Amino acid sequence: MQRFMKVIFISMFIMHLSCLGKVFADEIAPRVSISGFGTFGFVTTDSDRLAFTRDRTQTQGASASGGITNDSRLGLQLDVDLTNAIHLTTQFVARDHAGDFLEQNLEWAFLRWTPQQDLDLRFGRMGADLFALSDYRNVGYAYTWVRPPHEFYANVPMYHYDGLDITKKFHLGEDLLSIKVAGAYTYNEVPLEDNLRVNLGAPATGVNMVYESGNWRARFSYSFLHLVTDYTSPAIEQLRDPLANIIFPDVQKFIPYYSPKNTDINFFSLGAAFDDGTWLMQAETSYTHSKYKLFADTASGYLSLGRRFDKLTLYALYGIAYSFDQHANVPKPIVDLPELDALYQTIDRSLNSNGVHEQSISIGLRWDVLPKVALKTEWSHYWFGNNGTRLWLRDTSGDWPEQINLWSLSMDFIF
Amino acid sequence: MPMKKLIQTLLLFFLFSLQVRAELAVIGNLNSPVTSLSKQEVQDIFMGRTRSLPNGNFALPLDFQELRADFYTKLTARPIEQINAYWARIMFSGQGSPPMTLPDEQAVLKTVSENKGALAYVDSKRVNPKLVRVLLILE
Repeated sequence: MQRFMKVIFISMFIMHLSCLGKVFADEIAPRVSISGFGTFGFVTTDSDRLAFTRDRTQTQGASASGGITNDSRLGLQLDVDLTNAIHLTTQFVARDHAGDFLEQNLEWAFLRWTPQQDLDLRFGRMGADLFALSDYRNVGYAYTWVRPPHEFYANVPMYHYDGLDITKKFHLGEDLLSIKVAGAYTYNEVPLEDNLRVNLGAPATGVNMVYESGNWRARFSYSFLHLVTDYTSPAIEQLRDPLANIIFPDVQKFIPYYSPKNTDINFFSLGAAFDDGTWLMQAETSYTHSKYKLFADTASGYLSLGRRFDKLTLYALYGIAYSFDQHANVPKPIVDLPELDALYQTIDRSLNSNGVHEQSISIGLRWDVLPKVALKTEWSHYWFGNNGTRLWLRDTSGDWPEQINLWSLSMDFIF
Repeated sequence: MPMKKLIQTLLLFFLFSLQVRAELAVIGNLNSPVTSLSKQEVQDIFMGRTRSLPNGNFALPLDFQELRADFYTKLTARPIEQINAYWARIMFSGQGSPPMTLPDEQAVLKTVSENKGALAYVDSKRVNPKLVRVLLILE
């Protein structure tokens, strides 16, 4: 599958290049454009025990000494209109993402065919739009906040999928209804604690509907993933030893907990946004139903209000996430050895500290200092429930703060 | 001398405010069967909500660098930063591209006169009726 996709991307890239020569032949089509977006961001907290990550795909966290890798990113996009009906898009985003830098950060590489008015078929790699901001969450310039609401977006590691989607638009008076269905394969490399990584590969399908009416936008989406990738690590291999069950009773029954293989994840979401040019409102709510033990069932939501004052936008944001994780009783090894104890700690932590119980309020300011440059600053205060810090990178103390302050500063631009 | 400078400044300011208040003409091709458009129709095409003209023909909206901010403010009552943010969302999520931007009035008039589905905008005083047709006036 991976090799197949690579061949497709390379051939699409060559198609792109071969189009470049034709651009001067005709003024209108083919039309080639290169554009991009980026963010320089700095974020700092008041704790060294929990490090902030923007989402689960990141390998580096920001703590009290601050970090620039969490929000900073640079995206480049190449668009080619081959004809009025056929369009190619490739987008690469340089950022901190676990795994293969080139493959994982290639966000878009697709061919769009418009066989008739208001019907789009896309084939290739596309952004996974599980939630309202999912497929443009790298583009800070396009939204008001420093980053998409943490409780809602940080838990979702899927950025893109490889396959096909079909969008049909219906004009209902002055309103617009868009319905999209997608069938694809998604592959995402997600870091775990203790320098481990799990690869989530899954055939996926989804539907989403967007209704736009005047200053309002409402959205419903549902996505289904059937995970097919297995998980192995040196620790898991140790556990497979027949002796393991004797000195560490019943430990082998936890092995399947780690494997995503043959588990399903369902994402449901509902959202609405309002923007009349002066006032802004956005809210979303979601439920994630997961059979994969390391990715607990989670409900989340957020509400944001903003007010523009010419070039300044003042906003407030409240977010909440709560996971319905079940406690696994991991038995202690019967032999008292430091190595075994460490293994016990790792298993216990990975199974019983993967909950997301988090709330936050943020207050921030966006200043559109130039037509294509925005400066933003944001203060956030987070509260964590019992076993609720899964979205953060934690030290091994187990003694993590229940509240954290976060300060962010960023510059977003497009070109 | 200071008086002259003052008058010059006032004149410049006056000219500038005239420029800002200038009417914009949304223009189309003379051979297109579309002879007029409503504000909503122009908005749908320039904001990428539809890719066709009301008669079903392919629409080719064109931006004119110099008047772009003025045009979108008149069309949508929003400042250009909000229009840019809107297009950043559409474009970088692979849904569509903003209108192609042309550098000067000559290029705008030429492109519109040569492409049947083309739509653009110029200062209403600068329209040459032998070359293009006015479809809507934006104030």
